[in-house]
Amino acid sequence: MYKKLIAALLKRGLQALIVALIVGLVSFAMMQALPGDAAFRIAAGRYGYDLMDAAAAEAVRQELGLDRHWSLQLFDWLKALAQFNLGESFIYRGSVSEKIAVQLGHTLTLSLSALFVSILIAFPIGIYTGLNPNGWADKFFLQLSIFVRAIPPFAVGLTLVLIFSVHLKLFPVAGFRSFHHLILPAFTLGIGMAAVSNRVIRDSVLEAMHSDWQLFSRIKGLPSGLTLRAHVLRNAALPSVTYIGVQMAYLIEGVVIIETLFAWPGIGHALIHAIFGRDIAMVQGTALTLGLIYVGLNLVIDFLCSFIDPRSAKS
Amino acid sequence: MTLLSVKNLYVFIEDKQVDLLGPISFSLELGENLTIMGETGAGKSLIAQAILGSLPTGLKSRGDILLKGEAIDNLSPKKRAALWGDIITALPQEPWLSLDPLMRSGQQVAETHRYFKSYNWKEAKKQTEQQFKKLDLSDTAQKRPFQLSGGMAQRVAFAAATAGDAELLLADEPTKGLDSHRHDKILSLLKAIPQKGDSLLTITHDLDLAYALGGKIIILKNGKIVEEGITHTVLSSPKASYTQALCAANPSSWPPLSSCTISSKENILVQSEKLRIGRNKIAFIKGLDFCLKAGESLAISGPSGIGKTSLLDTIIGSIKPMGGTLTRAEHIGKWEIQKLYQDPPTAFPPLISLKDNFKAVTKKHKMAWDQLLQLLENVELDASILERRPSNVSGGELQRLSFIRALIAKPKILLADEPTSRLDLITQETCLNLLKKLCREENIGIILVTHNQHIAEKWAHNHIDLNQFCV
Repeated sequence: MYKKLIAALLKRGLQALIVALIVGLVSFAMMQALPGDAAFRIAAGRYGYDLMDAAAAEAVRQELGLDRHWSLQLFDWLKALAQFNLGESFIYRGSVSEKIAVQLGHTLTLSLSALFVSILIAFPIGIYTGLNPNGWADKFFLQLSIFVRAIPPFAVGLTLVLIFSVHLKLFPVAGFRSFHHLILPAFTLGIGMAAVSNRVIRDSVLEAMHSDWQLFSRIKGLPSGLTLRAHVLRNAALPSVTYIGVQMAYLIEGVVIIETLFAWPGIGHALIHAIFGRDIAMVQGTALTLGLIYVGLNLVIDFLCSFIDPRSAKS
Repeated sequence: MTLLSVKNLYVFIEDKQVDLLGPISFSLELGENLTIMGETGAGKSLIAQAILGSLPTGLKSRGDILLKGEAIDNLSPKKRAALWGDIITALPQEPWLSLDPLMRSGQQVAETHRYFKSYNWKEAKKQTEQQFKKLDLSDTAQKRPFQLSGGMAQRVAFAAATAGDAELLLADEPTKGLDSHRHDKILSLLKAIPQKGDSLLTITHDLDLAYALGGKIIILKNGKIVEEGITHTVLSSPKASYTQALCAANPSSWPPLSSCTISSKENILVQSEKLRIGRNKIAFIKGLDFCLKAGESLAISGPSGIGKTSLLDTIIGSIKPMGGTLTRAEHIGKWEIQKLYQDPPTAFPPLISLKDNFKAVTKKHKMAWDQLLQLLENVELDASILERRPSNVSGGELQRLSFIRALIAKPKILLADEPTSRLDLITQETCLNLLKKLCREENIGIILVTHNQHIAEKWAHNHIDLNQFCV
């Protein structure tokens, strides 16, 4: 049992390492590829466009060593990373890790709330349509799912803002001061995920209901409700949870956009701002953290799956 | 007291109003035992499903089904299901697939006890333990279905099905795919049902099981009753021609094999000396010597789990011998060892029409389509059968198709792993004779794996009983 646990941790640990390297390299390469003078933009970010000049840009260039060959800059960043040091922000005072430590909490709050919302929506719909396949509800939710999934997350977010903030005035347009602020962004992300996962859950439930063991459970005498609870749902949960793991990529991608849209001060929001400001250290740090969140969430899914299905753990 | 009475029961396809089965009438007293025998794919299982009320969608039944004198055929599905476990229960055809793959086997039985007798978990577990002890399953309670053998899974299913003490047990092909030891075990469990005052309805194509169970018997052909009566009378002096054919097709009544004619030392296809076989460094079989020549048949028998499949895998070359030698003739190419599988439906992709499947295989092995049609004719199949999907073809026909599919590759060696254990007796005999004839004509060496001692002795030129080589 412990051997399996350690093996799983090692596997994800290695994955985290690879993710860190790739994310670091790719984000660095993309920042280098951007046109224009980085030092100029960084100086503008620090002092404002009106208060800066060529001399300030030159000072920034010297200070950050931006005139060095790109390979040296990358090497420095990797060396610091190996010592668990993400460096200093190019624009704001303070280290990247300090900033991320604050933002991480906001991002996790939003991601987990979105996940919770998606589960809250997808499971009841998926179970109901799986138990009543080809009924009106099944057909309705199929169409709705296709419709919702076809809209990009930011458009879903804008629509929700228009309806619930602008017209109904139920929730704030943006910001993060209270629980109220959390609801719209969490629903925007959650609805997008639920649009697909409710169909996966529906198919899993349907398949379980057609299994030999489901019928045998009834024939040996268990009533339908008990069969559903004790057998069908657990078996159907396995592919559903695995699929939710697959959706983590959608979640991470969505967080970046939705945080920006709702001015939610998380890592995604910070990433976008860092890109605009050419804050290379911040970009690398935030992208890296998002990658690691992805790996971490998948690790949680791994454990959930082996908890539901002990076969994989023992065979 | 009459527990179950069935009058003029028909099962039909709802859309097309086509009868698959009927008219069937019989009655079953409490403490009595009735066996229904007939062809594979003739819809015997539909009778059990009609009584349970679990017919597949698209099928309906008409006629009267009375349970304890009350009509149940017109009850709502919900009320039908309320009888399950309490008054009617069923032993599933595929015990492995009928147990929840994620739940421990003890729990699957205990939940039934807990539900029916409103025991608390502790008491329910105690009841389960006692039941498992009686069924020789003592250390099985903590295991999940994937850790059970077929025989163990069947006994767990038996325990679960009978936990509610239902008065009527429907057993659909209870001995399918079991070796003689497990066969006897399930027989004694089934026999105990009428003895304690409950009723048993068995559906089978296993003549020995029917005989051993005794009681009454119904023989079905084409969905109609051709003969019925006291089992021992019917089977020892059958009147209907179909019953006579059925009895004659039982391997124990096959005529002994006429002396074999192959004696030359030439044409040795595969030969072993002091062969030692095992998996994961655990040996199952040792000191095995055998020799297979072209056109010859070799039967391998032994109980489940003794290493029959491992032996076949070693001959194919997918596992290495642990000791001794195994020599294959050098001229045998990659495709020239072919294998026939136990369960024909699983050997064909379900969503691809047979025609497409055969087109691919003939193309691969460069056989003309006309030649394939000739082969079909040889096994008495009409070419139109290829238009269908595997699920719309009977087990016997499908197995004949899989013979042909293997022959397209022009094999020199054919390995047949229990190819007929799921077929009825007559179909089994026809298939096996056909197989022997084809191999003789094409000069193919065939190795047949079976757990039926009679088939092993009477069908093949040579017979190896693996019990003698067991580690």
